[in-house]
Amino acid sequence: MSFELGQIALICILYLLVMFGVAFSTDKGWIPDAVVRHPATYILSLGVFASAWSFYGVIELANQHGYGALAYYLGTGALFLFAPVALAPLVELARRYQISSLADLLVFRYHSQAAGSLVTLLMFLALLPLLALQIQAVADTLHILTLSSKPALPLSDIGFTFKEVMALLYCAVLAIFTILFGSNREKHRGLITAMAFESLVKLCAFCAIGLLALYGVFDGLDGLDLWLAQNPERLEQLYSASEDRSSHTLLLVFIATAVAMPHIFHMSVVENPISDSTHTVSWAFPLFLLLMALPLFPILWAGFELNIALPAQYFTLGIPMALNSPTLTTLAFLGGLSAATGALVATALAMSTMLLNHWLLPFAGLRLKPDLYSHLVLLRRILIILIFAAGYSFYQLLGGKYGLTNLALMAFIGTLQFLPGIFAVAYWPQANRRGLIAGLNVGGAIWAMGLLIPAISGNNAIALPSMGIVLPVGHEHWNLITLLSLGLNAATFAVVSILSEQSDEERYSADLCGEDELSKPMRLVLDVHSAKEFRQRLEKPLGETSAKTEVNRALRDLNLNNNERRPYALRRLRDQIEANLSGLMGIAIASEIIDQYIPFKLPEASGTTDINLIENRLAQYRNHLTGMAAELNNLRLYHRKTLEELPMAACSLGQDLEVLMWNRAMYQLTGILSDEVTGSHLGSLPQPWQSLIGEFSHGDQAHSHNQEITLNERSHWISLHKANIEGSAARIASGQVILLEDVTETQLLQRELLHSERLASVGRLAAGVAHEIGNPITGIACLVQNLKYETDNPEILDTAAQILSQTERVSRIVHSLVSFSHSGQQRPEEFQMLELATCANEAIHLLSLQLDKDNVIFSNQIATNAIVPGDTQRLIQVFINLLSNARDASPSGSTVHLTSDVGENTVTVSVIDEGPGISEELQERILEPFFTTKDPGEGTGLGLSMVYSIIEDHNGQLSIESPADKTRQCGAKFDIILPRQLATDRERGTTT
Amino acid sequence: MNNQRSIIILLVLAYVFSPTLLSWILNPYGSWYRPYLIWAIVIVLAYLISGRRKKHEL
Repeated sequence: MSFELGQIALICILYLLVMFGVAFSTDKGWIPDAVVRHPATYILSLGVFASAWSFYGVIELANQHGYGALAYYLGTGALFLFAPVALAPLVELARRYQISSLADLLVFRYHSQAAGSLVTLLMFLALLPLLALQIQAVADTLHILTLSSKPALPLSDIGFTFKEVMALLYCAVLAIFTILFGSNREKHRGLITAMAFESLVKLCAFCAIGLLALYGVFDGLDGLDLWLAQNPERLEQLYSASEDRSSHTLLLVFIATAVAMPHIFHMSVVENPISDSTHTVSWAFPLFLLLMALPLFPILWAGFELNIALPAQYFTLGIPMALNSPTLTTLAFLGGLSAATGALVATALAMSTMLLNHWLLPFAGLRLKPDLYSHLVLLRRILIILIFAAGYSFYQLLGGKYGLTNLALMAFIGTLQFLPGIFAVAYWPQANRRGLIAGLNVGGAIWAMGLLIPAISGNNAIALPSMGIVLPVGHEHWNLITLLSLGLNAATFAVVSILSEQSDEERYSADLCGEDELSKPMRLVLDVHSAKEFRQRLEKPLGETSAKTEVNRALRDLNLNNNERRPYALRRLRDQIEANLSGLMGIAIASEIIDQYIPFKLPEASGTTDINLIENRLAQYRNHLTGMAAELNNLRLYHRKTLEELPMAACSLGQDLEVLMWNRAMYQLTGILSDEVTGSHLGSLPQPWQSLIGEFSHGDQAHSHNQEITLNERSHWISLHKANIEGSAARIASGQVILLEDVTETQLLQRELLHSERLASVGRLAAGVAHEIGNPITGIACLVQNLKYETDNPEILDTAAQILSQTERVSRIVHSLVSFSHSGQQRPEEFQMLELATCANEAIHLLSLQLDKDNVIFSNQIATNAIVPGDTQRLIQVFINLLSNARDASPSGSTVHLTSDVGENTVTVSVIDEGPGISEELQERILEPFFTTKDPGEGTGLGLSMVYSIIEDHNGQLSIESPADKTRQCGAKFDIILPRQLATDRERGTTT
Repeated sequence: MNNQRSIIILLVLAYVFSPTLLSWILNPYGSWYRPYLIWAIVIVLAYLISGRRKKHEL
């Protein structure tokens, strides 16, 4: 059975068009999101792992190694089975730092451009056989399908065979597809869906051929068992071949493919679109592999049963041909084409990123181009074409001499060399770049000498004349070469890493990679102080527009604003810009630009661990912590909460004066949010806190009492206390904890106490003076009385009367003073019934003694029947305070009215002024102690609060109404409501 | 610290049972698809574990 060239070309073109269509419709949004974003789509897209080799070549592997061939699936399956442990750290790293390829990962971790270039070189060499394999598989199958029709070759005169022409055309079409759908920066949804589609096609095709083998050739499982019983050597071959040591090596080779092969790394790590997909992947991908592996042995045995005149690797295609089924033959061909296409596209994409980032950009100073983005896309497109060209050339060079298995093993063993380096990324923080480079050189050299060069040159031995040894090489010895290259690679890596020193940057990256390590990330210092400065610095390497776009993108990613100045936030901004640039042009270039233009100054003092970063990281991984780590984390949270909720303002500073902690009380005191200040330098705090805390933290004193600062134009007094936090290393203080105590109220109370003490002594003095004055006044009054009796002269009598009235006035003043200075207060049960009008008169009288303030008229209209129980002196105090406030607020010449309203149980006295009134906000605060609107030195802020407390003591109420005059919108009215009877009297009254 | 315990248990179990399991798989009188059965069981276990873990995390 054979196909016409036209038919098969049509099938090829149709299939590729369908694949283009899938990718295109996804990009256009025609395929529903439920399909595109379904985990199954992602799982199937991982199926690019199963290249043309797993469609054809693996049958040959099964023939050679029996059950050992299953290692191909089991190795990778095992890695995905443990995805939450084995892959999750890499996926997380790739997501956080925009790592786009294996070389980027290694450069990020080992901080070395040389390592990146070396990895890319080795990867490129290792992938050549894999590319050639796909091309060869497609060319061979096309050849097999059209074998008997002997198509005429349009280009036969230039020496190309039919196979080669077909292969070339195939490569060209695929290069166009890859360029169209994979070379831009955004996530390649279209590409992923297309890859999922091709995986589905190849899975269905392979299973269909398996079923055909089982039911079409053997009549089901029973028939197969019968056939195996008749051909026991086939069954025996399964076991005997797998007992060979090489099957263990196969397992080793294949376990690495999922992370070491660039296209699988790209799909499994970089394109991983679903955040929680690692758990689904852990069972779904092994299931996919199981389905791919099931038809393996039935196809192999059916091939033998049918005596197919093809190598075992093409039995998949040979069986439907032998059974004369054109539909299934087409399906099998499409499956193989699909597998080869997926692998080629994914490999070319991954490889182009690596080549661009690690070869082209570092050496080709292309950064000053004005339109950076489109320039990068163009470069990537050229690279994709070059990769397809290289793959095709390698296929031409080998000339189809080698089986698919040999090519696959050559590629897999080459990429296996990256395994030690990848393993160390997440699990060995001490590994360094010298170790990696040395190990890769050793492993890569052994692989190239043992497999790659012999494959090209055809030699199968290397002679060492000086030592008289001839070393056997070539694909027959792949087992030994694998073990030798990987073993020596790992050993060199370990030994060199242990013997040599890590650089600081490398240690920093290693800390970032080792998520489980509760290591101390260093807090490095930046010399850039604002986001704007970032933009200016980056203008030079990126150009103005790109610099602006990148800085804004990073600010947006981190939810920061344009005015950000905190060192902690700027460090994160730097990391984010680096990550975004890495996604664009690779880790190496990105970190080179960033290191050059926004360098870290290494901290001068040791032990400045980045507490904020540790906290952040612990918060992120909280759910992953188990056992002791979870307990410790709970303990940390508890202590943190304790500090946060401490009812005293506390903050802690690093050695470089960066604010590490800022608790809630601190926020209440300063009004600065913890989020705003954490991570910033002390110098960026607003005044007066900056100088207050700054000076104190520099000073030698552990305590500093009653520091006066001005907040909202009012004086506040703060006491500060500090203690050094000892670092874990040596006995160097790694920071300070500072407590702030607001002592304003105590301080004001203390001042008020002093003041009233002074007033009290003045009062006592006045009482003494009054008493002393009283005696001579009495004498004068007596003498004047005598004078009145001794003369009839009307002039003298008039003078005597005047003297008498003046002496009476003096004694009234003296009496008032003496009674006001009478200290002590009465208990409610000692209250006496008193006339409020008299109290008010007394107060008015005392206020009239203030000669400088007599510009206001007091009009006392309190009814004489307004009688309440109370303490006379304290109620006089109430009136003095209210009237003096009213007088101070009133304009000159105005009147302050005192009115009363005598109710059944209460008496309401109102003091009404004609001043400007009291605003609503002030009304809320006016009764607070120490609140005053008067100029400093004029009022204490205690008057009204004293009124309030005296009225409270009298079981009364005080209310404020402003404006009192609604029409003129001015004036304030203070209502004092006092009970007419004591509570105890009322009770007695009701009971009797 | 991250899920290491379950891996250690798994490794110990694999070490203890692997000889029995291998001799069962490689028994020449058994069915040829025995390795696939083991594989399927492992997938079912992984499915159950991942389902439980998701529920736990919710």
